[in-house]
Amino acid sequence: MSRRDFFRASGLVAAGAVGGPALLGGLTKARAASPAKPAWDSRFSACDMCFNKCGLIARVEDGVITKLDPNPKFLKSRGMLCARGNAGLAQVYDPDRLKHPLLRKGARGEGKWQRIPWDEALDMAAQKMAEVREKYTPCGHLFTAGSDLQSQFVGRFAEVYGSFNVTSHESLCLVSGSRAFLDTFGEVPFADVLNSKYILMVGANRFEALVTPDSIDLMTTIRENGCKLVTLDPRYTKTAALSHEWYPVRPGTDMAFMLALAHVIINEKLFDPQWIADKTFGIEQLTAHVQRYTPGFAAEQCGIPAEDIARIARELAAAAPSSMVYPGRRTSDYEDSTQIRRSFAIVNGLLGNWDRPGGLLAARQVGLKGVPYDAPWYDENREDRIDAGKVPMMFEHEGSFVVTRDSVLNDDPYPIRGWFIYKTNPMGTAPNRKKTIEMMNKMDFVTVVDIAMSDTAWMADLVLPSQSYLERKDPCSGLQGSVACACVVKRDPVIDPLYESRPLFDIMKDIAGRMELGEFFDFTLDEYREKQTREIPEALGVMDRDGVYYNPSKVYGIYDGRIYKTLSKKVELYNQRYEQMGLDPLPEYTPPAGPAKNQFRMVIGRNAMITQSSTANNALLHQFLPTNTLWLNPEAAGRLGIKDGDLVEVTSPVGRQELKAEVTDRIRPDTVFMLSGYNTLSTMQHLSHNNGASINELLDDDFDAITGNASMHTTFVTVTRKVA
Amino acid sequence: MAQQLAMVIDAAKCIDCKGCVAACKVANNVPEGQFRNWIKHAEYRAVPGISDNGVRFQPGACMHCENPTCVAACPTGATYKDFDTGEVVIDASLCIGCGNCIPACPYHARYRNEVTRKADKCNYCPERRAAGLQPACVDTCPTKARVFGDINDPTSAAGALFLKNKERLTRVTAKTNTLPNMYYLGDPGPGDWGGEAVVPASMVAMQESAPFIKGIVALSGLGVLAMLGRQLFAGSGSDHKEDTDA
Repeated sequence: MSRRDFFRASGLVAAGAVGGPALLGGLTKARAASPAKPAWDSRFSACDMCFNKCGLIARVEDGVITKLDPNPKFLKSRGMLCARGNAGLAQVYDPDRLKHPLLRKGARGEGKWQRIPWDEALDMAAQKMAEVREKYTPCGHLFTAGSDLQSQFVGRFAEVYGSFNVTSHESLCLVSGSRAFLDTFGEVPFADVLNSKYILMVGANRFEALVTPDSIDLMTTIRENGCKLVTLDPRYTKTAALSHEWYPVRPGTDMAFMLALAHVIINEKLFDPQWIADKTFGIEQLTAHVQRYTPGFAAEQCGIPAEDIARIARELAAAAPSSMVYPGRRTSDYEDSTQIRRSFAIVNGLLGNWDRPGGLLAARQVGLKGVPYDAPWYDENREDRIDAGKVPMMFEHEGSFVVTRDSVLNDDPYPIRGWFIYKTNPMGTAPNRKKTIEMMNKMDFVTVVDIAMSDTAWMADLVLPSQSYLERKDPCSGLQGSVACACVVKRDPVIDPLYESRPLFDIMKDIAGRMELGEFFDFTLDEYREKQTREIPEALGVMDRDGVYYNPSKVYGIYDGRIYKTLSKKVELYNQRYEQMGLDPLPEYTPPAGPAKNQFRMVIGRNAMITQSSTANNALLHQFLPTNTLWLNPEAAGRLGIKDGDLVEVTSPVGRQELKAEVTDRIRPDTVFMLSGYNTLSTMQHLSHNNGASINELLDDDFDAITGNASMHTTFVTVTRKVA
Repeated sequence: MAQQLAMVIDAAKCIDCKGCVAACKVANNVPEGQFRNWIKHAEYRAVPGISDNGVRFQPGACMHCENPTCVAACPTGATYKDFDTGEVVIDASLCIGCGNCIPACPYHARYRNEVTRKADKCNYCPERRAAGLQPACVDTCPTKARVFGDINDPTSAAGALFLKNKERLTRVTAKTNTLPNMYYLGDPGPGDWGGEAVVPASMVAMQESAPFIKGIVALSGLGVLAMLGRQLFAGSGSDHKEDTDA
């Protein structure tokens, strides 16, 4: 008999002495061995903690979500759920959540609110929108929505209301990269990471900025398939740490590196001449163009040895077509971002990897169809968007946030006085926060629909509480999962909605009804889903069973026998449309400005535990990342007399912030880095308010000359030790 | 052969995303600021160029050791080794929250739960396993670096991995080698694998005391139990079967 048994026996004595069998029953139940099967219900949904929409199963007990688990049948996310996905509960049950409609009482941003009933709130929203339309034409109202399954209803509302002025989060993220690849291949590709033999990772950090399935496939392919991973990054990220090779490239010189790769591949004739002849346009022009961009030239620019550049070019070519320059996502970095990313696309073109295993894939057939409608015509309306004509190749459906903001501030060419924002937080994601505040102050009326009092909501007039992704019914959505799948997901509520929250769809429908636009929202979400799935009628049932529907569509060779959607009907190494528009048809390298003495280039980036401003106030994730720090190289820190953990003051041309320094050799001496999402103005985000530093306050608002994508890597800052 | 539940971890696949830590916290209601599992890494230096690929992130948790020093440190028997499954179990109903077991674990896998005031650590998610699921950390892991199961069962994922890679497996040990049941595929890289188990002297004395003390304890316990059993359950059916092992 062990001590354990002795104490168990003693426990029995006590139980017997006090209460008899009832207590004894309690004791028996509490035993650690063989627990009963839990009484949870399992319900399918799709994650919304970032844009990936990973399949999940919510475990629900007595109407409360107790755990979110990955859906093992969900191939796009490879049956996983990351830390953020697991923290979905903390978002739903966040005590800081918005609970009922709030009307601003004090000055904008002062934080004085009055609770009002929904009917009053909706009446007011409709009335104010009608007033703006009356006074400033329909285009006098701006609509902004983030990436969400219901965001399309904001676009639909804006169109029937009559405004062209719709912006998304994308121009603060990736439109320059999309533009560059679209203008090279005719569409924006997906990377076949899993089957690649050689991946050059530049301007992306796939093991920390998780993208499904690429982040996961990258690990599988380098550990199990013998793929080589080479990373260029001014920071020694986790991706860099797990790569076969890492080079701390000088920020802003990636294009020189890419053009030198092209130089070697062309001059050493390492490409497939048949493929280049059949499938590409402009090899002659490119050959002439890259002559001056030798590995030696690039080495001087990038700080990477010329022999390494030449070797990487040869290795990439040897592994072609199953090799790639990874396209990356966040491409909002420089004023010539589109041209920088064009140089990435051109190297991929030379590798001949388009539409082939281990290379870049075209979008697959998902099977969903759009639900068309006829928007009304408004005679009094403006001719075009407020940001039209200011950059040559903007995406109409995404807009340019920074260009729009400048246009609003200058009433150029016309005034905008109303703003409706859903599930995105430009105050927390756009550079130069002061300008966004100014833009807010320009508005007659701002309506924000969100689940939390973000900084954008904090500056609004009317704040409407929306439902989280686990409380509402969403339309179907088609997802591309690279080689993993082309699939359809939907969301059904897994719990009853909390507080007075309402889904955006109902809000739009109710406002439309009050503005005589009800006919455009005259349907239920079930009817909408049926229209979306009219060509795949089995999909809805399959999603009920598995949480996901897969379309068995072709993966490779989609373009066999088809023409490319470019001017030359081929992969455009040399872009003819750019030439017609007076843009550089081949990327011309301009050396980036270097930081002045005692200045640093500030770069942005992600971590696997945060999604910018939407998670800095998440109680679970906060335990992993309680605040943000300024990464500073020991050499620079030593020069400035800054020790690890010291409070430092960071000053840029547009703002000033304070935070703790993290002295680390994981960043170049000329560069500093901090995470986004912290130091919110909103006091109703109690974990992120007054905590760390806001990067948006510091970043200057330059933008890509071709697409209007914000350029987040063009700000130089000074750093000084804060004397207490 | 009895079961031996264990984790076989491919540290080379871990990207330090903290998915496992977040999943564990939610699944087990781990209080704020406390953790049942972790991802460690040795200080690594940023060296440009061709990497020696030595950087490893090391996921870990309670290792359900062969020779668990925590068991010896527990005065009530709340912590015990279940020889049927190989798990080191905390019976919360017997834990008095004395905290002796916490320094007794050389891997720092135990903590005193701030809410329950009792010892707490990884238990391989028994409620989930009863529902046919993997432990939360294993289920959620993006790269499936964590593999869990019975390493004595060649048909289980962990068993297959264990047998196939037997020569390559590293059983990391703290300064006090407790024969942990956590195996790392290949070289998990340098790391802080823990220090020495600190077991209170009184507990060591008790552990090593003469067998007759144990005998007396056992006999008195049995006597008390026998009497109690007769008093409470004579003829009351079979619903107390679990307790016959006393």
